[in-house]
Amino acid sequence: MENSLLVGLSRQVALRRELDVVANNLANLGTAGFKSQEMVFREYLMPVARADIFPHGADRRLSYVEDRATWQDFTSGPVQTTGNPFDVAIAGDAFFAVQTPNGVRYTRNGQFQLDAQGRLVTNDGHPVLSNGGPIQFGDEETDITIGVDGTISTAQGVRGRLLLTRFENNQALIPEGSSLFRSDTPGRELAPGEARTIQYAIEKSNVEPIVETTRLIELSRSYQTLAQMMQRSDELRRTAIERLADVQA
Amino acid sequence: MRALHTAATGMMAQEKNVEVISNNIANMRTTGYKKQRVDFQDLLYQTLRRAGTTTSDTGTIAPVGVEIGSGVKTAGTPRVMSQGGVLSTEKDYDIAIRGEGFFRIELPDGRIAYTRDGSFELNQDGILVTVDGYEVEGGITIPADATNISINAQGLVQVTVDGEVQDVGQIQISRFVNKTGLESIGENLFIETEASGPPVTDDPGAEGMGTLLQRHLEQANVNAVTEISDLIAAQRAYEMNAKVITAAEEMLQATTNMR
Repeated sequence: MENSLLVGLSRQVALRRELDVVANNLANLGTAGFKSQEMVFREYLMPVARADIFPHGADRRLSYVEDRATWQDFTSGPVQTTGNPFDVAIAGDAFFAVQTPNGVRYTRNGQFQLDAQGRLVTNDGHPVLSNGGPIQFGDEETDITIGVDGTISTAQGVRGRLLLTRFENNQALIPEGSSLFRSDTPGRELAPGEARTIQYAIEKSNVEPIVETTRLIELSRSYQTLAQMMQRSDELRRTAIERLADVQA
Repeated sequence: MRALHTAATGMMAQEKNVEVISNNIANMRTTGYKKQRVDFQDLLYQTLRRAGTTTSDTGTIAPVGVEIGSGVKTAGTPRVMSQGGVLSTEKDYDIAIRGEGFFRIELPDGRIAYTRDGSFELNQDGILVTVDGYEVEGGITIPADATNISINAQGLVQVTVDGEVQDVGQIQISRFVNKTGLESIGENLFIETEASGPPVTDDPGAEGMGTLLQRHLEQANVNAVTEISDLIAAQRAYEMNAKVITAAEEMLQATTNMR
């Protein structure tokens, strides 16, 4: 009898985690370069607990549910033009490389700026990498343009090319917050033309609000159904105790 | 219940978004105003199961992990320093900058402030001042009997006195390596910060500097259509985050009602 409660509980715990993921997706509706996540569940056959209360037939193993993974959706988000010369979006499967104090990190968020030294940096002030390291502009360098292959040029001439990296398996990228991803395996530097960069535009979050809202309804309903089911089995047990204990003296 | 807090960060972020959009719309007709936007970033992730961990003796590894994020934060509200539209005003002391550069204004406390708002006036001594009465650096004095005031593209101010043309001053402009890093102090003024870097000052039209346009003013660079569509998006995102809070609350209630 407790098994039905425990199976229900495993689903409830999984549903709560899924709610956390949906909440994070919706909270990041407006985060440029954000990639939505999805929970992947799997059946978990209980090796120890067995439902051997059935008199006929073989024992049936109990299956619990387990949250196995968070799948990251790396499809491109919509591209919005902003008119800001340091906003860059990537069309194609690639990431910008960013030098942080903890090593190189990767991002799809192209909301860049210049810092006081004239370096091209992210919102957090980490330098953006080109094929020749961080990019620094001098006082006299105006009319900064970024070509479709990532080539950065100013009134003074070509200054390098934005480093674009592609990974064998994007799922192995670990989100670190602040729009950054970490990779344990090195990626491949793209040659010109393998992915396009779009200046004056940013890639918005790829969260689909409709999908997330329907998922939200679905999971809150299944949670309630489970709660009811567990309540029923609790009632069943109570009735059983009452009936069985009600022996005729 | 992490979802409650996550959705709360989402609501706070969208609230900030609406604040910035409303300030942009409020300043749609402010001369030399530069619109702001809000940049968001995702918060830290909690890794419940790491990708790449070994899942069996034969060396198979988990291809994906379980990572749960904890919401969103505001990374910054940078200004979009693009050129605003230039409007003809027929007023002698209205000056617009086309291209890079800021006018240099002397604040009463001696500091220099920078502005794109070139709607200047004369004070009682004939000195060129802003609408708040702060002097434009250079102390350009227009004689009382001057006619035909002309300010050329390179910032040279000339007047005609008794039929003779004479120079009365030179307007200089400043540019910054990172103009987005300037601090706004209101009244259309900006001041230099650590992030903006030191100003580079020169005559208009010099290398990398914009040129001046007399009898014109620079409009705000706010685009009403973009702002309204951003406002709609922000409002919807706010509502959806509120829905998450409702859902989380209902789930908690379902748990409470089990007994």
